Amino acid sequence: MSIKYTIDGVEVIAEPSDTILTSATRAGIEIPTLCFDKRTAIYGACGVCLVEVEGVPKLLRACSARPQEGYVVHLHSERVDRARKTALELLLSDHTGDCRGPCKLNCPAMTDCQKYVGEIREGRYKDAVSTVYEAFPLPASIGRVCPHPCEDACRRKMVEEPISIAFLKAFAADKIEADGDPYVVQCEPDTGKRVAIIGGGPAGLTAAYFLRRYGHAVTIFDQQPKMGGMLRYGIPEYRLPKAVLDREIQIIADAGVEMVNGVKLGRDIQFDALRAEYDAVLLAMGAWRSMNMRVPGEDLAGVHGGIDFLERLGLGERPTLGERVAVCGGGNTAMDCCRTAVRLGAKEVYVVYRRTRAEMPAADIEIEEAEEEGVTFKFLTNPIEFYGEDGHVTGMKLQVMELGEPDASGRRRPVPVEGATEDIPVDDVLMAIGQGADCAGAVAEELLTQRGTIACDEMTFRTAFDNVFAAGDVTNRGAGIAIQAIAEAQKAALCINNFLEGDEVRAQVPYFVTQEKTPEDFEDEPKQKREKMPGLTPEERRDNFEPIYFGFTEEQAQREASRCLECGCHDYYDCRLIKFANRFNVEPERFAGEMHDREDVPVVSEVIVHDPDKCVLCGLCYRTCDQVVGKTFLGLYNRGFSTVVNPMVPEEARTFCASCLKCVEACPTGAMRSFPAVERVTQLV
Amino acid sequence: MRLIVGEGSCGLAAGAGAVHTRLQELLAEANPTGVELGITGCNGMCFLEPIVDLYDDEGALHRLVKVQAKDADKIYQAATTGDLSLVDGLRISAEDAEFLDKQTRIALRDCGIIDPESIEDYLAHGGYQAITKILTTGMSQEDVIHEIDVAGLRGRGGAGFPTAFKWRAARDAKPDETGQKYLICNADEGDPGAFMDRAVIEGDPHSLIEGMLIGAYSIGASEGIVYVRAEYPLAIIRLRKAIEDATARGYLGDNILGSDFSCTLRIKAGAGAFVCGEETALIESLEGKRGMPRLKPPFPAQAGYWLKPSNINNVETYANVAWIIVNGGAAYAAMGTENSKGTKVFALSGKIRRGGLVEVPMGTTLREVIFDIGGGIRDNKEFKAVQLGGPSGGCVPASKLDTIIDYAELSATGAIMGSGGMVVMDESTCMVGMARFFLDFTAKESCGKCVHCRLGTKRMLEILSRVVDGKGEEGDIEKLEELCYAIKDGALCGLGQTAPNPVLTTIRYFRDEFEAHIAEHRCPAGECRELITYYIDQDKCVGCTACARQCPVQAISGERKSPHKIDPTLCIKCGNCKTACRFGAVQVR
Amino acid sequence: MSKQNPSDLSLIEPTLDTYADVPGSLIAILQETQEAYGYLPMDAMEYIAQRTGTPIATIVGVATFYAQFRLEPVGKHLIMLCQGTACHVNGSELISAAISDELGIHDGETTPDGLFSLEHVACLGCCSLSPVMMINGTTYSSLTPDKAKKVLRSLAAESAEGGASA
Repeated sequence: MSIKYTIDGVEVIAEPSDTILTSATRAGIEIPTLCFDKRTAIYGACGVCLVEVEGVPKLLRACSARPQEGYVVHLHSERVDRARKTALELLLSDHTGDCRGPCKLNCPAMTDCQKYVGEIREGRYKDAVSTVYEAFPLPASIGRVCPHPCEDACRRKMVEEPISIAFLKAFAADKIEADGDPYVVQCEPDTGKRVAIIGGGPAGLTAAYFLRRYGHAVTIFDQQPKMGGMLRYGIPEYRLPKAVLDREIQIIADAGVEMVNGVKLGRDIQFDALRAEYDAVLLAMGAWRSMNMRVPGEDLAGVHGGIDFLERLGLGERPTLGERVAVCGGGNTAMDCCRTAVRLGAKEVYVVYRRTRAEMPAADIEIEEAEEEGVTFKFLTNPIEFYGEDGHVTGMKLQVMELGEPDASGRRRPVPVEGATEDIPVDDVLMAIGQGADCAGAVAEELLTQRGTIACDEMTFRTAFDNVFAAGDVTNRGAGIAIQAIAEAQKAALCINNFLEGDEVRAQVPYFVTQEKTPEDFEDEPKQKREKMPGLTPEERRDNFEPIYFGFTEEQAQREASRCLECGCHDYYDCRLIKFANRFNVEPERFAGEMHDREDVPVVSEVIVHDPDKCVLCGLCYRTCDQVVGKTFLGLYNRGFSTVVNPMVPEEARTFCASCLKCVEACPTGAMRSFPAVERVTQLV
Repeated sequence: MRLIVGEGSCGLAAGAGAVHTRLQELLAEANPTGVELGITGCNGMCFLEPIVDLYDDEGALHRLVKVQAKDADKIYQAATTGDLSLVDGLRISAEDAEFLDKQTRIALRDCGIIDPESIEDYLAHGGYQAITKILTTGMSQEDVIHEIDVAGLRGRGGAGFPTAFKWRAARDAKPDETGQKYLICNADEGDPGAFMDRAVIEGDPHSLIEGMLIGAYSIGASEGIVYVRAEYPLAIIRLRKAIEDATARGYLGDNILGSDFSCTLRIKAGAGAFVCGEETALIESLEGKRGMPRLKPPFPAQAGYWLKPSNINNVETYANVAWIIVNGGAAYAAMGTENSKGTKVFALSGKIRRGGLVEVPMGTTLREVIFDIGGGIRDNKEFKAVQLGGPSGGCVPASKLDTIIDYAELSATGAIMGSGGMVVMDESTCMVGMARFFLDFTAKESCGKCVHCRLGTKRMLEILSRVVDGKGEEGDIEKLEELCYAIKDGALCGLGQTAPNPVLTTIRYFRDEFEAHIAEHRCPAGECRELITYYIDQDKCVGCTACARQCPVQAISGERKSPHKIDPTLCIKCGNCKTACRFGAVQVR
Repeated sequence: MSKQNPSDLSLIEPTLDTYADVPGSLIAILQETQEAYGYLPMDAMEYIAQRTGTPIATIVGVATFYAQFRLEPVGKHLIMLCQGTACHVNGSELISAAISDELGIHDGETTPDGLFSLEHVACLGCCSLSPVMMINGTTYSSLTPDKAKKVLRSLAAESAEGGASA
């Protein structure tokens, strides 16, 4: 006789042999559980399947409770949610591992580096490029110019050097292009919604790409003659050949994004009109104004804004510089300026920076290459005056600095050495100490911060106007690297999509399990040197704008990719724990306490290992071995907090395990894994 | 004259064995006529152990207490000469005698009176009359269960489930083709602070056997199993002998007393796991497995030991059964309250003047037990709280001392009746420390199966540990409470579901102590090591150097006959000095 | 688990003869095995697995679940220090510290000379005589740190005498 009852208002029919969980599953209602598997006896360990039944004082485990006629079951109530969330949080409070690799977590756009590196290792270049496109477009361009926070976080550096993640990305994108099989954007059916994007730089292009994928009609307006923003007008040709950028912009254009150049907001098009005409507007105009140094003589001829200088290059001009050029600043823009000055024929190029090399924000490789090209670095000096003749700069006075106490950024603060100054003769000065946005007159007053940037919410990217969003350098967070602008645009696009679909506008911050590692953890890892990027010698490159890198060969790329330590959990896409953790918004740090960090990884068989630190003790592995396979190669040892699944059988008995992998399949997390067969196959989404 | 030495575990621990040996030597040497030497189990007056009961030729009892081996000669003299004035110095005081006088003993009716190793003695005290009555007067299973029902007997092991209900369920459960049902006795008395079950087995094992026989008859079981804690070796020895004797006398085995009722009993020794007090974990353990609880349903009455219908009660519950059958359920129900009938045994210990086993009718107040019977707090200190129900129970404060012993009334305080542990605390006991103590226990005893218990108790213990170490954080109390409620809801078995009780009650009644630890880094009871400082009261110190000699780290300095000082930077707070000082000069702040 | 010398498996033959075919006897077998060796040697557990057909994973699982079982040998005198509530209230922590101070061992450890092992155990049920400890079956009650140390010293002295005369 069947039983009728309801779950969250939906009628469910159960047979007498049913539990709440089995009958719900049949009715298409998912009840979360970690330890239930219909092939094994009911166990009831995880406490995730708890439900509340009206009139029943205790919460019930859906995996074991038998429904009764007329039961009114709630999958969510304050009590259930608390108990279930606590179960997950407690599990995660003693779960040691890396859901995702540090590379991905350190990428502002959360690009799945480990995945595409693995795909490159396996020669699946198109898959690799698709993986990048899940996070952002323009892989060949960004792969060339990104200061790669991914590599900064790469644990391979604890062995010798990080994986060359950025160049691998560029390699894959170049490779499929060369193979005549370029990436094509797949878009959802048209929604009929229209979005205007102001600015065609990395942020604008990324947002356009995602919004188009979501099926919206997108138009980018840009003041420059061509799209690309700072990628085109801020980064010199020798670093990013514009043909590469053109090719990648075309992929976005081919997806149906309309691109309008030569129009400036506030001049050619009006903010209010756009806002009225389009369903949503994204402001992504970037930060194009060079910061002033506020020292006397700044208005002398020959003192240029670094960004303005690079923009002229981008527009095709060849500005003439004197023989002695000083570049002020220590960031990547300063490097672009000084190296461009070298290429324009300046005999003496100085970089004036008030701290030391260790504090320079520019990428190490940029500094090295600038040095190779003959640039002189004047550290611990700060310009205090420019002076000249006939209105043209002829020299600058530098204050000698020394490092004092650390400041808010953690870097030691430069302080002047009293009375110590130095004069250097210069013909031109390039100021590269920062960039600012300049939105005055372009948008409504109420959108602006005091710094002239656009004020928007950090989680929703929304401005003071409902349908106006902002992303990239133009926002209150100010100028940063391209991938940061891209990351904002990626999230802003999601928020705009949510807005257009009428959903809650919010970018989610996913939860991941992470761990700290030290070089000692990798002592046994065989060393394999990072592949050297082939390219022009300093002599070959200092008088022209030819691309300085040739790109990896295929062999190099695969060798390089094979260095990956695969820090991220192999089971991420199948892991039920992390799935539930994010579904139920866990905050496990509340229960932070002792965590297991067991040194030995028990070997179950020739091809199966068990990581007890990822084990949730659901018992599925040993129960499956016992009840499904009919063997008992695994068992629970100890009790309480020390309980562990262990194949601690005598060595000789291990060969009896037929490695049927049923335990691996049953494991809801990444605790049971097989190797090497499965290890080398990168997980697909 | 008869000399009866109290030889329960407590008595033996206090030196009863040596007394017995000496008396035996003396008797063997002279072989006097008219003097018998015997033993009995614990009479519950643990605070007076070792105890020798001297019965004169008129049968009058002269109770001699705190007897040491050296006193044996005197007692022997008194017994052989009849000059009882020789032992006047050993007689129990009138005040201490009240300890027993104020009790009503049913479960403990023979404890400390009969020789537990003698079935004859049990029979002489009315033993096996109940099972005889059942089997010879044709009482049906339902007749017996009805009597238990009328008595209102509820499980004495903790949860207080009506015994008749369980017996009926097991009786009504359809066995498989083997027809096998089991009757199990839970003698895995794991609550720290409870020892009445041990006392019953050591002092009156046949009463357990008889109670189990009646239970087995009622549900139709032909096999009984007693699951005894491994820590109770003496109980196992005495129970084994009792089973042998009962089998030899035909009270166990086939066709008991000529009826068609057959039943055997055997003992299974536990191996040290508190969770095995939970009935399904106990069954797993009986089957030789890890003692991890099963999910209910199915309940043991349907599918228990080897998945056969099984009934489980604890020792004290069974110990009441024979009395109820002989005296009638109504006589039992005449004692107690509306919802809690009969009597309950408590193990009174802690900072109490007279500690031991106390059996009182339900409805007695906590105050009566602790002050009238237990004599109140020793060393003239203030009563602070009484812990009931062990790791599943809670701490009841002074303001609740007039709570009556009743399942519902005790639950309302946040504690539980439990198995009857009653640990009394005075002003020097830190309540946060107590909460930590219990969580340490449950965390260690958690079987590790379910998440809420395995990790929840661990995290609670960590929070409590940092609080007692003075490293508590703002919000820790709330975090504890949150974990408590989640664990109560989420844990799989009774161990986990009740583990938060000691914490919740201490927070409820002693929140100020938690706050003092967290906000002021102060332990009001002066107990938490990390938060206290030892010092010597310069006015009280006579310079005897006793403390300095006991200090393991040479933190105490001072000239002989002049006041000493403790260097707090060296002091490891071991407390040796305080114990060593005979003048109360070593103090704590 | 450290490597031990091969155990004399004949010691548990009678136990296995009795119980090998009786379902549910694993705990009893392990108890008698521990009785025979003082602990549960790995090779003995393997032999039990072989004789009973119980998977070794199950046997070690049971052996590591119950507090009573030890996988390492213990000292001649096993100090079982009661951790019951009454003992706690009456200062068992100080007794534990005194034992550690006297012998230099903590819960679960054995002195290098193999004379003493210290084990914190669940309530021994002598609550009214707390704090208590049990050593080789003898209960010592109403302990003070000083009294506990004296007991240990006298046991050590006894052993020394016994050793000299043997």
